[in-house]
Amino acid sequence: MQKAEKEKGFWASIFESIGDIIATFIHDALFDDPGRPGVRRFSLQARAFHWIVAGLVILMGLTGLILFVPGWGAIALTGWTRIIHRICAYAFGIVLVLYFITYPKAGLAFIKEAFTWKKEAIGWVKAATDYYTGGDESKMPPQGHINPGQNLWQLITIVCGVIFFVTGAILCFGKGAVSPGVFQWSLFTHALAFIIGGCMFIVHVLLGTVHPRMSESLRSMITGKVSEEYAKSHYGKWYEEISKQQ
Amino acid sequence: MAKAMLNDVTKCIGCRACQVACKEWNDLPAEQTTNRGTYENPPDLSADTWTKIIFKEYSEDGTLRWLFRKEQCMHCTDAACVNVCPTGALQRHPTLGFVTYVRHKCSGCGYCVEFCPFDIPRMDRESNKLLGTGLMGGKCDFCFDRVSNGLEPACAKACPTGAIKFGEWEDLVIEGKQRVQVLKETHPDANLYGEYELDGLHMLYVLDERPEVYDLPVDPQMPAAATALNVGKWTGVGLGLLAGAGMFGAAMLARARMIERKKKEESAES
Repeated sequence: MQKAEKEKGFWASIFESIGDIIATFIHDALFDDPGRPGVRRFSLQARAFHWIVAGLVILMGLTGLILFVPGWGAIALTGWTRIIHRICAYAFGIVLVLYFITYPKAGLAFIKEAFTWKKEAIGWVKAATDYYTGGDESKMPPQGHINPGQNLWQLITIVCGVIFFVTGAILCFGKGAVSPGVFQWSLFTHALAFIIGGCMFIVHVLLGTVHPRMSESLRSMITGKVSEEYAKSHYGKWYEEISKQQ
Repeated sequence: MAKAMLNDVTKCIGCRACQVACKEWNDLPAEQTTNRGTYENPPDLSADTWTKIIFKEYSEDGTLRWLFRKEQCMHCTDAACVNVCPTGALQRHPTLGFVTYVRHKCSGCGYCVEFCPFDIPRMDRESNKLLGTGLMGGKCDFCFDRVSNGLEPACAKACPTGAIKFGEWEDLVIEGKQRVQVLKETHPDANLYGEYELDGLHMLYVLDERPEVYDLPVDPQMPAAATALNVGKWTGVGLGLLAGAGMFGAAMLARARMIERKKKEESAES
């Protein structure tokens, strides 16, 4: 048993789990299996929203970033990357509005959660370095539904999202209507939001995919559920709360 | 040594030979324009028109004067366009001093258009490209191919009156100042434009009126946002690499430590 695990190797296990994840995702997206064991973390609509937005944001990020890559910039010169960038921005706006119309409670709860900082944050910050480099799990104080790192990411998606929409609208429609100074600072702020959001995005993706500590986070965003063990060890406070409710 | 051009507006007769020479040498197509009731043509700079003579009717104390000025890239030493250009299509020549533009390196972001204090670079839509939105940028590159081979720019070569002179920057500043002294006798507002603006322009002007009269900005400045973008660009690359490498490193370290601890626990159990 131990030998077999050794032979599998790091990349093989990653590819295997990707295949596994895709299969599970298709199944769970279609059936939203209530019988699957574990604790529910994300509703089906939240997961669908997450992945649609993820796709749009990645497309927008790449089509925006290409303007800045020497040697690749000429791709943007023909114009189709600009059109993709704008179409994705409109699509993002439409999806966002639709989500808030259909699930206003969930949407507002997401915003409220992002702006609420809990007492556990101090303990998390103190223990984070050791925790995320593979230290003893028991040293991390129990966390709520999201830990402060996820809380920060949630906050940044909202703040950067608003900045992107406002400055993007100025860049798209404001030419001539606003002063050159406002236009110039909009360009800068749009880029700044990309730097902040982009760095956090990289951290978010790496934590969700390759980091062994967050072994079930990608799965939870696909199937919506985590194992009870994982919920207990990673979100102890939240697990207690939902256990009481049941 | 830094090169420059000096446009003595008092010697310009508005023949537009420089415009034609620029198009000829740089292989730029002519533009279809309509009569707007002025000899000034084409109406504006474009990706295919890198220089043009501005015709201005200016009345002072009841007398009407017809003013000419050659409009083109100023080749600033402290150039905003170079600061904001993300792909290196716009670069300042380290010794010759002027700002070159390489079309095939350009991503068409258009930042130079937004940040230029003189409103010179143009980013035009090309209707014949894919999806009808292809972009093409353009601005004067100081006939880089000619100058680097010891020739003078095409416009200076074509000028029949000596209104466009090409030479060493220092020499032209001295020459321009001498010319201003002569002009001051008849035109008290005469001045040399470009010696101090943005750390020295490589397109200098001998003007017989205040710069405003010739629609030149008084004391142009590097936009603060241009400097911020230039700094932010490299900070962004650094932060992105740091975030990626840092998090990946942390993940790999965590993996190694977690496996190690598991082994320890297992050996302790058995």
